Parts: sequence; C-alpha cells; structure tokens
Amino acid sequence: MKKIFEIALGILAAIGGFVDIGDIVFNVAAGAMFQYQLLWAVVIGVGAIITYSEMCGRVAVVSQRAAFDAVRERLGFGIGLLALVAGQLVNLLTLAAEIGGIALALQLLAGLPFRVLLVLAVVALGVVIWVLPFEWIERVFGYVGLTLLVFAVGAIKLHPDWGGVASGFVPHADTSDLAVYLFFVVGLIGAATVPYEVYFYSSGAIEERWTPKDLGTNKANAIIGYSLGGLLSFALMITAAELFYPRAISPETLGSVALGANVPLGEIGLLLAIIGILFAVGGAAIDTAFSGAYNVAQFFGWEWGKYRTAVEAPRFTLAWMVMLVLGFLIIVTGVDPIQVTEYSVIFSVVALPATYIPILLVANDRAYMGAYGNGRVANVFGIFYLVVILVVAVAAIPLMIVSNMGQG
Amino acid sequence: MSGPVDLALGILDHQLLDGEGRRCGNVDDLELGDVREGAPHVEAILVGAPAWRGRGLIGRLAAALARGRTVRVPWSEVEKLDSGVRLKNPAREYGLGGGDERARKLVAWIPGAGE
Amino acid sequence: MRLSDLLSLEVRTESGETLGRVHDVRGELTSRSLKVTGLIVGNVGLLERLGVGAPESGDRIRPRDAVPWSAVVRADRRGVVVKDGTTPN
Repeated sequence: MKKIFEIALGILAAIGGFVDIGDIVFNVAAGAMFQYQLLWAVVIGVGAIITYSEMCGRVAVVSQRAAFDAVRERLGFGIGLLALVAGQLVNLLTLAAEIGGIALALQLLAGLPFRVLLVLAVVALGVVIWVLPFEWIERVFGYVGLTLLVFAVGAIKLHPDWGGVASGFVPHADTSDLAVYLFFVVGLIGAATVPYEVYFYSSGAIEERWTPKDLGTNKANAIIGYSLGGLLSFALMITAAELFYPRAISPETLGSVALGANVPLGEIGLLLAIIGILFAVGGAAIDTAFSGAYNVAQFFGWEWGKYRTAVEAPRFTLAWMVMLVLGFLIIVTGVDPIQVTEYSVIFSVVALPATYIPILLVANDRAYMGAYGNGRVANVFGIFYLVVILVVAVAAIPLMIVSNMGQG
Repeated sequence: MSGPVDLALGILDHQLLDGEGRRCGNVDDLELGDVREGAPHVEAILVGAPAWRGRGLIGRLAAALARGRTVRVPWSEVEKLDSGVRLKNPAREYGLGGGDERARKLVAWIPGAGE
Repeated sequence: MRLSDLLSLEVRTESGETLGRVHDVRGELTSRSLKVTGLIVGNVGLLERLGVGAPESGDRIRPRDAVPWSAVVRADRRGVVVKDGTTPN
C-alpha cells in the first residue's frame, strides 16, 4: 500500500514537472495560430519523451550509468566532446529562457524591474538547490506545478468545439502557410523532448537511489506521469485556440498566457496560473542547471550528484553554479525571453539525435542491462521515435529559416 | 570477472571508481607493453588531459586547452570491471581526483557544504 | 605504445594486401592481468562500431572474431603488418 502511495506521489511530481517554458510558448502559440490542428504533434512529442525517459531510467537503475556516461562510452572522446559542447550551449540557452520566464511570472505578481527579478530568480534558485535535498526539490516544484491544472479546468469551461479537438489528433494541415505549420510541428515535438529532460531524468534515477525493485516506479512515472503531463500541454493549446485564435491574437507575453486561465476562471484562475507557471518553469530551470552539471561531470568522470555533499562533489557543485550565472548573463543582456525560448527549443531539436541514439544503444546492450534490456515493445517505439527525431532534427534549421521563426 | 574483453568497447572511456566507490576520472587511454616482444599486456590506465592527445583531432585540441597531469594507474590496481573500472584503493593514493581537491576549497567555505 | 596508438592503424599483410583498420583490441582478462590476444580488424559497420549486438554475456566483446596476435608480424606508428593468408574474420 505504501508502495502505491509512493508511486502516486512520484506520478504527481512528474505531471507537475512536465511543462516548461518551451512547452508553454509553443503550445500557446500553436493554439493561437492553428487552433486544434497541432494536437497530434504534441502526442508524438509526449510519446517520444515517455519512451526514452523509461528507457534511460531503466538504464540508470540497472547499470548505474547515467545518459551522458553512455554518450562518451559509445561515441568516443571526440564525438562525445562535441556532443557535450553542443549540449551545453543548448542547455545554457534553455536555462536563460527559463530564468527569463521566472522573472516574467514574478513580474505579473510584483511590479519590480525585470533585471531585479532576474537577480532574485537566480539567487532563489541557487539557495533552493543548495539547501534542499534532491527529492524535496523535485517534489516541491512538481506538486506546486500541478496548479497548472487550472488551464485544464479553464479549457473545459471555455466550451471548446470537441469535434474540432478530436480532429486535431489526426495529422492534417488546413492552412496556406505550410512552412509555419511544420515549424510548429518541429517546435512542439522539440519542446516535449528537450535533451536536458532525459539527462536529468536518468541522473535523477541515480540521485533517488533507485534499484531494480523501483523499475515499476520508473515505468509509472514515465508512462502515467508524462501522459497526464501531456494533458497540460493540450490544455494550453486548447485554451489558446479558444481565446486567441478567433481573434487572430498572437500571444507575445507570458501575461497573455496567464489570461488563458483568467478569462474562464477569474482572479483565482489568474493567480493559480501564475503560480503554476512560476513553479513549473522554476523546476525546469533547476533541472536544466543540474543537467548541465551532470553532463560535464559525467563526461570527465568527476564525482557528481546532489546526494553527495558539496565537499564530496565540488566540481559538480561549481558546475551548476556556473550554469546559473551564465544563464543569468545571457538573459540579463535584455534579449526577449520568449524569443530565447523559441531559439533554445529549435536548437535543442538539432541536438536530439546525439542525445537519443546513445540511450537506445545502451538500453539494448545486454552486457549493461542483463535481463532488463529493451524488449520488443521498447525497441519498436524507440526506433519509431528515433526516426521521428532524425527527421525533425534535419528539418529544424531549414524550417526555422523558411518560416521566419514561425512568423511566416 | 575474467574472460575476453574488447579494450575500446569495454574499458576505454569508462568511469573509474575507487576502492570507496567514488568516481575519480575516466579511462582516457591505456598503456600497453612493448609490442615488439609478443602480445603485450595492458600495463596501466592513463587518466588526465595530456592523455587525450592520442584521442583524435578533437582530443589533441582538448589536451592543448586543458591543464592537468597524466595520472598513471598500474593495471594491477584494478579490482574488477563492471559498468565501470573499479580500483582497489582510495583515489588519493593514486593521485586521482586532484581536480576535486582543488575545487573543494572554492565551496568548502559556504555553510552547509558538508564534511 | 598506447591503445589509442593502435586504434585506427591500417592493417596490411606482408605482401601488401590491405585488410582494413584496427577497430578494437581484444584482450584476455584474468584476476592478475589483462593480456592482448588479438585485433578487431576490418570494415566494421556503423552499428557495430557503436556497440550494437554485444552478446548476452557479462563480457564486453564485439560479435566478431579477432585476428590473433600470433598473426602479427610488426606493429608500429606506421601500421600493423600481419602474415599472409590472415583474414579479418
């Protein structure tokens, strides 16, 4: 009974932690521009992250190797280092976007100058990471992130055309601007599958000291948790489809996003939405900073982990601090956080194959996995989504250029 | 554990773990015995930035940019091979983990840094 | 010589036939030592190079036979020379 309770708590944290700034920006923009037509793209993205999270969680548990260990072992020093550098650049962009997102959400609550809020955000993140144990961080940000469910409630209250919603799950493009449409397909899949998520998830499995008896928890978190988390993405898109699409509004700010809950649910909806965004994006920022630290530590073989004290893993500790500082420096230059978000997602897409291929390889390696290697189901999904990822990775930059970053 | 092992697949670039289970570097290269005298033995594990020089063009570039010494761990110090390479004794005895030793001073002063 | 020196060396027979490059080095591990027993030579496909298809055992070897070290005539920075008649598999 206790086990079921624990698994349920893990699922809740996974749901609340699913959405990050990239998901918010792309799902809302997609709903505003294409109504329900891109729901199917979210399904594909969610399916990919479920498949690969379960896989690399299992790899981490059974072999005690995290995802980036596999990158160096499988791809060698040279290519592994390229993957590290590219991954870190993408991580930094993503982190900058998330820090900006936190400051934007804070600005909706307290009208302080943006740069002050950026400093506040980074200091708060640093203190939280330093003080709280790993499990607490994940639980707190995950549970409070559940307030994003207000968008699900709001979406229903807006009485969407459910027939239209249903048809959105079938890929079709009823638009003259195919390049923009495809750009959003790439962006939605990319936002759901950002590399830092799998790196973080696999290292997190080792942080949480999962053993093979936790493989059920791993499956539950990945499959149930992320499926339900995907519902939040749907809610964002449907809300935007109801509020912005009919009026041809292009939501440019986080405030517009929060309106999505304000309109159907009033002041309380707005407040819950802002809090939800704050904690979902805040949790994502921590995950990204950690992911950067995990990757560099794992590549060079340093001791790592929040489960170690700072003194036991000093270079790892300095690494996440440096990540926060660099992310801050990028966003404090005054670049628009929403634009940084868009670029970070698109560049992440290009890095996806280097992230996902080693995971699929190691998950099939019997010497690592023993009896727990991929079965046929995991491999069918794994290969299918790998093909999807390869296609979007190749298409990302050309589509970005042709569609003028989704502006048309 | 004994039996056949492919060196690049199973040892090179794998994590080194010391006698206390602490991570202390990666296998950056392996030192082999004299190849003119018959089949060589693996003499030692090489760890450190200068050891990247043999790891291709990118390795040479990285070795040029990074600081550090090469640490040589005799193969006799290897306890076993599982997902990583496990050594018999604590990292310090081999001269490994030096980077963490230096970095420790930068974080140790913060309250809550641990023992 | 280091492992990295051996990897990617070109392997030829004494009479000059090219067999391919060294993709890995096989060794025999005992509780006391690790001795090189052969070379993995030839055109290893991309999947194999990435380690796909490792057999279901606790040992870490590629699913192909090694050229035994006894066939090696000479190995230095310029390449590896093996006896005539040696085949990669």
